[in-house]
Amino acid sequence: MSHLLDVKGLSIRFGGVQAVNKVDFHADPGEIVGVIGPNGAGKTTLFNIITGFYSPDEGTMIFDGHNISGLKPNALTRLGMARTFQSVRLFNAMTVLENAMVGQHTRTKAGVWGALTRSSKTKSEEDRIRERAREVLAFFGDRLSGREDALASDLAYADRRRLEIARAMATDAKLLLLDEPAAGMNPAEKDGLISQIGRLRSELGYSIILIEHDMPVIKSVSDRVVALDHGEKITEGTYDEVSTNKQVIEAYLGKAAEESHL
Amino acid sequence: MTPELRRSVRQGLIGGAVVLYLASVGMLVAFDARAIITNVVNFATVLIVITFAAFGYLAGRPGKGGEPAQPFLLAGAVTGAVAGATVGVVAVLVDFLITGLEWDVRSMWTSVSPTLMELLSFGQSPIVGALLMTLLGFTAGLAAGSLHLATTITRKVILLGLMAFVFGALGAPLFKVMLDGMHIPNRWLFDRDGLTITGAIVLFAAFGLARLGSFRVGGPRQALLKVPGTSEKNLRWVISVLALLGIAVLPWIVNDFVSDVLGFVGLYILLGLGLNIVVGFAGLLDLGYVAFYAVGAYSVAILTARSSYLVGGSVTAPAVAGYTNFWVAVPITILIAVVIGVAIGAPVLRLRGDYLAIVTLGFGEIIRTLVLSDWLKAKFGGPQGLTEVAAVPFFGLNTRDPQILYYLIYAFAGLALFISYRLKTSRVGRAWAAMREDEDIAEGMGVSVIKYKLLAFATGAAVGSLGGAFFAAKLSVANPGSFTLLVSINVLAVVVLGGIGSIPGVVVGSLVLVGLPELLREFGEFRLHIYGAILIAIMILKPEGLIPDKRRALELHQPDHQPEKSVLSAEATEGIQ
Ligand SMILES: Nc1ncnc2c1ncn2[C@@H]1O[C@H](COP(=O)(O)OP(=O)(O)OP(=O)(O)O)[C@@H](O)[C@H]1O
Ligand SMILES: [Mg+2]
Repeated sequence: MSHLLDVKGLSIRFGGVQAVNKVDFHADPGEIVGVIGPNGAGKTTLFNIITGFYSPDEGTMIFDGHNISGLKPNALTRLGMARTFQSVRLFNAMTVLENAMVGQHTRTKAGVWGALTRSSKTKSEEDRIRERAREVLAFFGDRLSGREDALASDLAYADRRRLEIARAMATDAKLLLLDEPAAGMNPAEKDGLISQIGRLRSELGYSIILIEHDMPVIKSVSDRVVALDHGEKITEGTYDEVSTNKQVIEAYLGKAAEESHL
Repeated sequence: MTPELRRSVRQGLIGGAVVLYLASVGMLVAFDARAIITNVVNFATVLIVITFAAFGYLAGRPGKGGEPAQPFLLAGAVTGAVAGATVGVVAVLVDFLITGLEWDVRSMWTSVSPTLMELLSFGQSPIVGALLMTLLGFTAGLAAGSLHLATTITRKVILLGLMAFVFGALGAPLFKVMLDGMHIPNRWLFDRDGLTITGAIVLFAAFGLARLGSFRVGGPRQALLKVPGTSEKNLRWVISVLALLGIAVLPWIVNDFVSDVLGFVGLYILLGLGLNIVVGFAGLLDLGYVAFYAVGAYSVAILTARSSYLVGGSVTAPAVAGYTNFWVAVPITILIAVVIGVAIGAPVLRLRGDYLAIVTLGFGEIIRTLVLSDWLKAKFGGPQGLTEVAAVPFFGLNTRDPQILYYLIYAFAGLALFISYRLKTSRVGRAWAAMREDEDIAEGMGVSVIKYKLLAFATGAAVGSLGGAFFAAKLSVANPGSFTLLVSINVLAVVVLGGIGSIPGVVVGSLVLVGLPELLREFGEFRLHIYGAILIAIMILKPEGLIPDKRRALELHQPDHQPEKSVLSAEATEGIQ
């Protein structure tokens, strides 16, 4: 079986910082891959390259059979990739429902003419967008569905994180890239998230790549874990293999033990 | 001196300084001649009282640094009295310099006329005048301070009543013409250029009571819904129909001059709606929007003017007829505007915010200098521009008549409103909004930023060029002098004042920004002074605009709360996180 996402020899440098260094990485259909590494390891940068926000200095990237090097983020969304952001970036002055509706953008067509005439075709497309948006909001229960008309900025922090995932789901992606979805959540919320990520795969068939500092979350959801440090992939394997790897322990002890992420 | 007292005194000194400033620039003397209530009180006095009262009111408010509110009455009275005393003392001093020391104060301070001195001392001796001024300040401040004791509703009712009465009086000449036009007897209401006493009381009471009544039932909307047989749905219909009727009869109840002004308001509505698409919907700050106004005007001029090179005419020797008529010219004009919109948009796609603003400003100037240039003089007529632009043919009606052209302009403004509404609430509008909120993330969610930016520039250009087209047909000329940077700024001000992104805001913004200066025309040189002051006041009191876009308003009033963000990514300020 070919990989859903397959990147090879990915490197990027910012001034003096080699943020990502010759990283080989893949994700298979239906797989949940966890990405770990201390602060500044290059995890988010890796996401930024894969999703087209940065163009790498070197490396090849294949997604779902397409060569995606040089494609813009919007083209990648159309191909079936969607992501969330570590620092929660919603469209704050738009409503919860509208945020999710934007996700449907690449799956719909209506342009200026459709908007002006509001033909029956445009109307039914609009209905479809709304329906799909409601569907992804409903995945998170009443927390988002009950507040469709609230502004995104009015949501509680954890709900803002959930809405980001919902918006990514609404793009009808094959692969979701989640950047620290559990950050800032309390233990109960984390438990909810763990089961939701599981359902995203088992019920809805998404493949997922997940950056997370929270080891219990990584442990419960990942099929495979990739560890980065200083921009390099230091090891890869099951959670148990990676968490007992000497280099990984050193990387964390050396850098972030005091932050008690482990 | 307690801190509270010190604050009151400080506010009072500032208030006094404001009145002295008004006197220095000559405003008080100029407004002395303008009645508010004929033979009772004039605008100069009202201006002084309003200043004292405003500072008296402010002094009683809780301070910014969380200082508690002061005893309102005392704070207001002290502030008012200090302000009045400041004015009085200065007046006494100046009088002493003039009469006592025989200094020629006027040679340095030109506005110190006998009229001003008399005005400031209420026609009494300087000392008595100063005492009276202090008393006036005290009373005004006390009254304003006592407003804090009233409930919010009472306060709003009183303020609205007062505003109705002042604006009613200022607009008296205009309203009188309108009422006369409709043969409504109005001698009991207006007396020459002011109100009668009855008129003042009636205006105050009518607006105050109407506001009070609507509060009782929970706002004007609820009040209307209480009328038997009305529902949310047919209420909207009724309001729309009434608005249409109002627009339709308006030219006939005002004079030609006002119709003309309303025509310009309509042009600004067109321009404002166009720019609102670019700035309000898509979030692209365009300071060169006048370019499309010019493109519209010049395209129509070249296609329809008798002085156009297309028909071998010139300003001095116009041809017999223009190349084609307005209605053929308009679609061509829109096409040209769209092409130029995209051409200007394309090179600035990568620019954001301030950079975009500066570059578009440059483009606006380039268009103006191009039509002004000697190089293209044969085509655009240089500084003189193109004259003899044909009137809009419309079933044989005389469309040079402002009352007739008015309807055409408003028909197109209505079309632009429709287009704006439809776009805003569509997939396209959502993509624009997403882009405006966060360009990177919008792209990440699949919005092609390039496509939607160009689309915004093109749509905005098309709507704006319509404004230009009517402008040329209205004035029958297109010349570079009409397309200065000031136009871009004014249109942007219309959009901002009304509320960025708000469609009704553009209409109200145009009325205020284009209509108000005309209403103030009788104030001559102080017109722009007052106008500026009003703009500042509006933006301080309603930073989100007069009719804010629902979303923007909420945004402004609620600080973006992302408490954990800073903790999570303390150093994550660069790039996309
Ligand atoms: N746009 C940029 N310009 C310059 N340097 C950058 C940029 N983006 C990332 N970096 C640098 O690259 C390195 C990796 O950063 P990255 O954000 O990928 O780390 P991370 O693994 O996501 O860390 P964290 O766990 O804190 O989110 C850091 O040293 C960072 O400062
Ligand atoms: Mg990161």
